[in-house]
Amino acid sequence: MNSVHRLLPRPLQIGLTLILLTIVGAPVGYVFFASVNTDLAVAGGDFWPERVSVDNYVRIWSTVPLGRGLANSLLVAGTVAVTCAAVAVFSAYVLVRHRFRGRRTVLRALLGMQSIPGTLLLLPVFVLFATIGSSLGVPTIGTRWSLVVTYLTFGLPFSTWIMVTYLRELPGELIEAARVDGAGSWQIMLRIVIPLSWPGLVVAAIFAFLLGWNDVLFASVMTDVDTRTAAVVLQVFGAAQEGGAIPPYGQMMAAALVCAAPVVALYLAFQRYIVSGLTAGGVK
Amino acid sequence: MTVTDPATADAPGTGEARRVGVARPSPSRRRRGSTAGGAAVWLLAPGGLLTLTVIVVPFVVALVMSLLDLDQYTFRQWLSAPFVGAGNYVEAVGRTSLPHAIWVSGSAAVIATLLALPLGVAAALTTHLPFRGRSLIRSLYLIPYVLPAFVVGTIWRIILQPDGVANQGLASLGIAGGLWLNGPKSYFALIVVQAWSGWPLVYLLALAGLQSIDDSLHEAAALDGAQWWAKLRHVILPLLRPPVALAAIISLLHMVNSFTLPFVLFGVPSPHDVEVLPVLTYVESFQNLRFGLSAAMAVISLVLILVPLLVYLRTVKLDAPEAAA
Repeated sequence: MNSVHRLLPRPLQIGLTLILLTIVGAPVGYVFFASVNTDLAVAGGDFWPERVSVDNYVRIWSTVPLGRGLANSLLVAGTVAVTCAAVAVFSAYVLVRHRFRGRRTVLRALLGMQSIPGTLLLLPVFVLFATIGSSLGVPTIGTRWSLVVTYLTFGLPFSTWIMVTYLRELPGELIEAARVDGAGSWQIMLRIVIPLSWPGLVVAAIFAFLLGWNDVLFASVMTDVDTRTAAVVLQVFGAAQEGGAIPPYGQMMAAALVCAAPVVALYLAFQRYIVSGLTAGGVK
Repeated sequence: MTVTDPATADAPGTGEARRVGVARPSPSRRRRGSTAGGAAVWLLAPGGLLTLTVIVVPFVVALVMSLLDLDQYTFRQWLSAPFVGAGNYVEAVGRTSLPHAIWVSGSAAVIATLLALPLGVAAALTTHLPFRGRSLIRSLYLIPYVLPAFVVGTIWRIILQPDGVANQGLASLGIAGGLWLNGPKSYFALIVVQAWSGWPLVYLLALAGLQSIDDSLHEAAALDGAQWWAKLRHVILPLLRPPVALAAIISLLHMVNSFTLPFVLFGVPSPHDVEVLPVLTYVESFQNLRFGLSAAMAVISLVLILVPLLVYLRTVKLDAPEAAA
């Protein structure tokens, strides 16, 4: 079977694999080495560290408020993830189980909304939050909850789409049987749909989490010094390093890896589910 | 081409539900399902309402703003700002660097996608068959795509510094690297970094496509005595065209819309050669405080991505195969 399915001669396959691994590995490996190297050596362009030290990982926390940034990111992205998954499962259930006018339009809109440029909505969202804030006398811009609400809506369409692709695989007989037994919509959701679709819920939550964790556009104008997410802390750190004597590049690499770590950990833990989600809409 | 079906073949997560149960939904049940219409609307409400407030309302506000002469002076009372009709659009197209930004965004996205396609397809071909360590290599291939864009931007910003590791590497080959984050070469830096972080998406979709190719085609090619290149050229690659085309469209959409990567990689004000559309729009509002003009630019960018977006939406399957009406 192997020889029938073989696509490439063995040497070519090995060669291509090595090339691709180098393309991925060289920059990523360099980041690791730079993060344990001295700032001076990184600025000088050395690939291998002259001596390995975890100094950068220790000093980074006092150089920039990375700890607070990570806490903010975790809080915001975590809230978005849980809420998104919870809301999406209901919307998706309706879209899969019921046929109604405009259903296909809603499905298309779910996918189309991914591609609305964030820059188009950034300014109006900012203005609307500012207007709500000043007319109700509550703080909006600069708070974490305004960021949560924003990400929630950007995350919901894709989370819902993921749940749709998941729930349409769910055998309808189970739901019909429960209905015959007299279960109401709530009971069907809680006892059958949610328990059977938790892998889908995990994917939906992860993608919503990543949206919040990875965003710079909205976070850069909707947070203040105290509510900055890790992404903005790192971006500001990087942008502030122009023209310094010895830019703390080693520390920046350490900070970048620290910011990437939760995402990579999530990815490794739920890799199979994440890949299915990526393929489902082809969207990050 | 269906995007989701190959995925389910490769993803145990989605297959599970199928294994739990019975046959596929029959049309009769579907009709019965639709009787509970009242509950349907009620369950859609939370998601719909949120989407309405943070997507539809701002969208309308953006359209209105693009028709107003809105700057830092008129911003507080933005609804009573002077109405200028198409004025912002005329200015954006005629007297700003918008046409240049459109060119930069569009051409860089196309070139980066063209670079990403062969990498992605090659990666799919190398990991199609099981071998020891395949799952590790599959995970490694996806790393550039999994890393957050702000991390990718940060690390490449340091790699591409004038005295950075990229130029040291080039120097050891006898090539003078020069400036990558400023001046004309920054355009190539943008393309390389976008391609680097984008190719695993092509890989994923190509791999899904590869695995949905029927066994009989492999067997037929073997029976015909086709050599690997003939088989690849005449059997495999033509079958991969739909998923790869879809990957290309999605990749274009991503790259044209990409704000974070160029923003972090080059900073603002961004060098003229890499002043992409999202960054220009952002700078026009939050640095130059020309809010009306910026809104007009944003609307124009939406119109531009509408073409690949509509192609994408036509390609993706909305329903599971049996339910497609």
